[in-house]
Amino acid sequence: MNENELKDLWKSTNEKLDHIRLTGNAITADLTRLKIESGLSAMKPNKIFALLLGFVWVIFVDTILLHHWESASPFFIVSAIIQVLSTKIAMGIYVYHLILIHNTDMSEPVINSQKKLAGLRASTLWAARILFLQLPVWTIFYWNDAMFKDANTILWGLQAIVTLLFTGVAIWLFINIRYENCNKKWFRFVFGKKEWQPIIKAMDQLNHLEKYDPGEEVNKE
Amino acid sequence: MKNEIELNHQFKKIIDQHKGILFRIARTYCKNENDWQDLIQEMTIQIWRSLSKYNNQFAVSTWVYRIALNVAISFYRKNRRGDHSYVPLSDHISAIDEEQDFERKEQLNLLEQFICDLNDLDKALMLLYLDDKSHAEIAEVLGISVSNVSTKVARIREKLKKRFLQKNL
Repeated sequence: MNENELKDLWKSTNEKLDHIRLTGNAITADLTRLKIESGLSAMKPNKIFALLLGFVWVIFVDTILLHHWESASPFFIVSAIIQVLSTKIAMGIYVYHLILIHNTDMSEPVINSQKKLAGLRASTLWAARILFLQLPVWTIFYWNDAMFKDANTILWGLQAIVTLLFTGVAIWLFINIRYENCNKKWFRFVFGKKEWQPIIKAMDQLNHLEKYDPGEEVNKE
Repeated sequence: MKNEIELNHQFKKIIDQHKGILFRIARTYCKNENDWQDLIQEMTIQIWRSLSKYNNQFAVSTWVYRIALNVAISFYRKNRRGDHSYVPLSDHISAIDEEQDFERKEQLNLLEQFICDLNDLDKALMLLYLDDKSHAEIAEVLGISVSNVSTKVARIREKLKKRFLQKNL
């Protein structure tokens, strides 16, 4: 089959599609409906729920901090500040990326837009890196004066091991959670859950797009 | 910035003149009829949102193709469920193609099945190629070089040729 025959064959498909289109009335130019749906499609309910949950948590920790600023142990205060600050930064990054994704110019050439979109989705990993960085504070927030006064060598030894381990893991994850490692087993294990699938998919898309058009580099951080 | 009435008028005109493109792209990326409707709706929303940024350095059809393909590829990736089952177009239109000869119908099914099996970017390339776009236009829509378009089109055509030969069509 030559080129013209092939294109003629395709045109015959289009004629049929036109028939379905006319009878199916799939396309509408109802502006009011479009404007409403455009606004609603900006955010999915699960994302709104995740942000609301984060917001409630941040308010809760901030309230505790305010009420116990003078009475609480310095370890608790510092841990809570680090925890709540990193959560706020992660939420900020998440919202910023959602806005950038929503505002991506879809009238750019397909490969450019798709690379940008996949790059932005993949870079949501920054939020995860920041959140993992707070791991060590979960092992020190409960320290208090009494623990120092009645020092127990074995308990402190265990405590030191756990805190150092958590610190090491947090720093290692912060450094290694990046696009280049997305095919490694540990990465797939950490991000194997359903809620991370869009990011893993985005990384696979980036690989695919780069193979398709190796020309333009994209920010994968 | 253009006023609202002018934008509304322009939008309706674009949709009216290019609904064929939207429909063909939706049909290529979604096999399920409910999905077509959703995808077309998303394309229309995106055209509306992008209208104020329209750059007349490009033909309107190039601009519409870019938006529609970008939305379709994103939609396809988001909703892909590993189900690549293909629904022949003839299932939807049995009433109107009674006169069509068997061989042509077979060829059409094979072509559709072939496009269905392509990856999302090659689908876009093939769609533009079959819609008689020049390699330069395809390059403009996809954002790859003209030589890259030529290489990819040649490769896909070669595969298609083999598929037709295998079936003796």
